[in-house]
Amino acid sequence: MKMIEVKNVWKTYNNHPQLGIKEWIVGGRARTEGRFSREWVLRDISFSIDAGRSLGIIGHNGTGKSTLLNLLLGTLNVDAGTITRRGKIGAMLELGSGFHPDLTGRENIFLNGSILGMRINEIHRVFDAIVDFSELGAAIDHPLRTYSSGMSARLAFAVLVHARSDVLLIDEVLAVGDASFQAKCSRYLHEYTEKGGTLVVVSHDLQTLNALCVDGICLHEGKLVESGTMDVVIDRYHRLSAGVS
Amino acid sequence: MPFRGIHAEFRRRQAGRSLFRKLQIMVHIKDTLLQAIELLYLLVLKELKVRYKRSFFGYLWAIANPLAFAFIYWLAFKFIMRIEMENYSIFILTAMFPWAWLSQSVTQGTGSYTNNVSLVRRVRLPKVILPLSNVIQEMVHFIFAIPVVFLFVFLTGGEGNPIMQTWQIGLMLFLQVLFVFPLTVIGAVLNVYVRDIQYVVGILFSMLFFATPIVYPLSMVPVQYQVYFRSNPIYWLIESWRTVFAGEVLPAQYVFNLLLWIVVFSLFAIWIYRRLSSKIAELV
Repeated sequence: MKMIEVKNVWKTYNNHPQLGIKEWIVGGRARTEGRFSREWVLRDISFSIDAGRSLGIIGHNGTGKSTLLNLLLGTLNVDAGTITRRGKIGAMLELGSGFHPDLTGRENIFLNGSILGMRINEIHRVFDAIVDFSELGAAIDHPLRTYSSGMSARLAFAVLVHARSDVLLIDEVLAVGDASFQAKCSRYLHEYTEKGGTLVVVSHDLQTLNALCVDGICLHEGKLVESGTMDVVIDRYHRLSAGVS
Repeated sequence: MPFRGIHAEFRRRQAGRSLFRKLQIMVHIKDTLLQAIELLYLLVLKELKVRYKRSFFGYLWAIANPLAFAFIYWLAFKFIMRIEMENYSIFILTAMFPWAWLSQSVTQGTGSYTNNVSLVRRVRLPKVILPLSNVIQEMVHFIFAIPVVFLFVFLTGGEGNPIMQTWQIGLMLFLQVLFVFPLTVIGAVLNVYVRDIQYVVGILFSMLFFATPIVYPLSMVPVQYQVYFRSNPIYWLIESWRTVFAGEVLPAQYVFNLLLWIVVFSLFAIWIYRRLSSKIAELV
């Protein structure tokens, strides 16, 4: 069963810088050259993910990996092509999105859980499990601004895994946790895919990615240049980095 | 006739399935709606908590601001300008709090996308919930202020039928949410495209404050200009609240005018939202 199907997706940003009255009078122009000024962020991307599979996305900075995740989640819309989704999608695209620094860990669990689509009753039911998973203990009643980034990541991930999503999208954020928590996360994610969950991860940490994901795709300058098992894709990525295409 | 039997059976199954499917969809919509309401509640709670968590007087500040301004205008107009009016303090006060709800919601709600980038870009939620949470949050402030208004009304010897007042207040709360929400959505969406909107809205509301009969009664306006003041939708909002707080029966004409403007605002907001909302996430 295909959980996510991406067909011929094109995406561009209106990357003209916002023109204010000053530019309007002076006649400012957007620079359109250079590596990071892109006409197309994603060009004709097609792939699909089956239930129970794990997909790693790699590529250099600015090749559209995060944009792709945003499209999969549905916060951005495609310019052309289609994305078909199935089931409930949970995402951790940024550390601390949906968290407020002045609220306690406890209050943030409720807010973030609700943002992930949980009902308040449901959050009450799994609340203790979330705190256990995060191993934050008494710190759960401290405001989030006193947390280290590792602690926030623990909390965010603990909420995410209890939201019972069919598909998980994770962008780069697990790297801030310490070794034992990272091990715990990857243990959990392995179990999750074994039980039929679907996982999509973007990362530059190739080792972790290789351990976490079976399949992979490699993006280069907005195009999908390689897809297959993680080994093959990582190999291609190394060749791209070395300047051989 | 076996064939017809099969056919009927098939149609019955089809009908059954589509009914089941319809039920499924209905249950799904109900779940999504309840979930969204809970999210709204948590977002409002967050804002209220965050705003007052580290202040000593907490929610009292929400009341203090309109109260202080009411006092200043009372001083300026009653004391210095010598406006001839009975119960002028009540007159200002009953308009000040609904005005604060309206202006605060729209001015702050205009930034509800641009100031919440991570909620717009990184998580998936129904987008209208952000401006709506601004409106509801200011409504909560307003509700806190209602007893204060009644205290003043009581002190100056006003009276009314408590049952009628309660349901009229309920009606007006509902109408004002419908009145303010589309305006907030319009501001929020436009501000994503042109950030100047937030400044325009700020100035607009300072002007509207004096263009609306809030600190002066409509009767003081020269008769030939009154028609313009009557076409101001906010006038009807304020006037309705004054009537309700005074314990009088809300005239049907007021409610009708409010509903008319609500429809106009809503249609405009829906039009803007449908045209412009798809790019919000990438432009904030």
